[in-house]
Amino acid sequence: MGIGIVITSGKGGVGKTTTTANLGTGLALLGKKVVVLDADTGLRNLDLHLGLENRIVYNLVDVIEGTCKLKQALIKDKRLDNLYLLPTAQIKDKTCVTQEQMQELVESLKNDFDFVLIDCPAGIEGGFENAVAGADMALIVTTPEVSAVRDADRIIGKLESKGIDDHRLIVNRINYDMTKKGEMLNIDDMTDILAIKLIGIVPEDEKIVVSTNRGEPAILDENSKAGQAFKNISRRILGEEVPYMELNDDNEGFLNKLKKIFFKN
Amino acid sequence: MENITIKGNKEGIVVYINSSNFDEVKNELFEKINKAKDFFSGSKLIIRDNNKYLDEEKYNLLKELLINNFNIQVIDTKNSSTKKRLPSLYDQSEVRTKFIRNIIRSGQLIKYNGNIVIIGDVNCGAEVIASGSIIILGVLRGIAHAGFNGNRKSYVAAYKLEPSQLRIANLIARAPDNYKQPSDIPEIAIIKQGGIVVEPYLPNKYF
Repeated sequence: MGIGIVITSGKGGVGKTTTTANLGTGLALLGKKVVVLDADTGLRNLDLHLGLENRIVYNLVDVIEGTCKLKQALIKDKRLDNLYLLPTAQIKDKTCVTQEQMQELVESLKNDFDFVLIDCPAGIEGGFENAVAGADMALIVTTPEVSAVRDADRIIGKLESKGIDDHRLIVNRINYDMTKKGEMLNIDDMTDILAIKLIGIVPEDEKIVVSTNRGEPAILDENSKAGQAFKNISRRILGEEVPYMELNDDNEGFLNKLKKIFFKN
Repeated sequence: MENITIKGNKEGIVVYINSSNFDEVKNELFEKINKAKDFFSGSKLIIRDNNKYLDEEKYNLLKELLINNFNIQVIDTKNSSTKKRLPSLYDQSEVRTKFIRNIIRSGQLIKYNGNIVIIGDVNCGAEVIASGSIIILGVLRGIAHAGFNGNRKSYVAAYKLEPSQLRIANLIARAPDNYKQPSDIPEIAIIKQGGIVVEPYLPNKYF
């Protein structure tokens, strides 16, 4: 029996789908059998992040309506054999699916997979309700902005009222310099306000845009800082203790590092 | 069950009417067509009513029903000498056609029982589904499905053919991974030797 994990945020554009694609890939790299499920019917994106758009024939709505079998709608990742995508429909909307149907679907996926990662749509309406219906655990993604933190707070309240108490926080797009100068919320501020356990910090990384456009999750790029962060989160999901990475020494360059060594004072 | 007889002769497929009960005639005809949908779909029928069982109104209604439900055309042979043979060019192109002058955007679905001509682009995430052929005077980036009820003679043509997926009848094709070579000339996708083939559109080739 697998675990259903919903990746949610409330606010849009904080990196839910990027997180889902990367953690799905990360867990698969660690040898788990993973399915990533796009719950954003009508505005699907997860297929693009994984570069699987042109393989979609059937989707979640077809499965629920009985047009096809669940197995037919699952798309195997082109890089990893134990990662699958269940895409949703683009030409339908969120009213096509009910919470009960979604719960049933996630339950049946849990029988076959170790992890079912559900990419939740932005907002707190029907789409959100559907996405969390079958989840055992929630990962809340936020960025160091007051608006994202406030929405995350609202979402945590919603999740708790639904009985999902196992939730962890991912702080995405941290810019170390700005945090240091006090222009951005820092991690302590956020965990203070939200009062939930942190599971990972992902630094801002320009490579993310490139990897999304190419359909290759950043986690597969050895040089990507964000990818490294997602790798660590994947390991933490499996229960490993992984130290948080240093965020401060990236943009200095070799010369500055040398200077530091020689002119320590 | 002998309200109609279907026969094939050198004129084509001929339906003989043997009863004046319109509903029974209609039901039996539909049942027979349903049994061999792939065979009949997109084809043409000749209706012979030598005993004048059906009046003009009923005849026209039947014609209308056939084209709406099965995309089958009825050829009028009532008072023509019937000897005239139709050129083969009209095989499938003579069904109804929908013209759309717009960009089809992500999430939009255009489905039509007939041909579709789109003057504009079809974006990623949009779907165009036709029982006949699809012509796009623009860029095809989304999904196009020609001949959805089994017509293997249908085709997809576009000024720029860059679909995320192409479907003709029951076949599905997609561009190979890492394929980055958009062509500057119009292309046409057809079924050849059991697979979907994309060819450059050369004006002389199809006439």
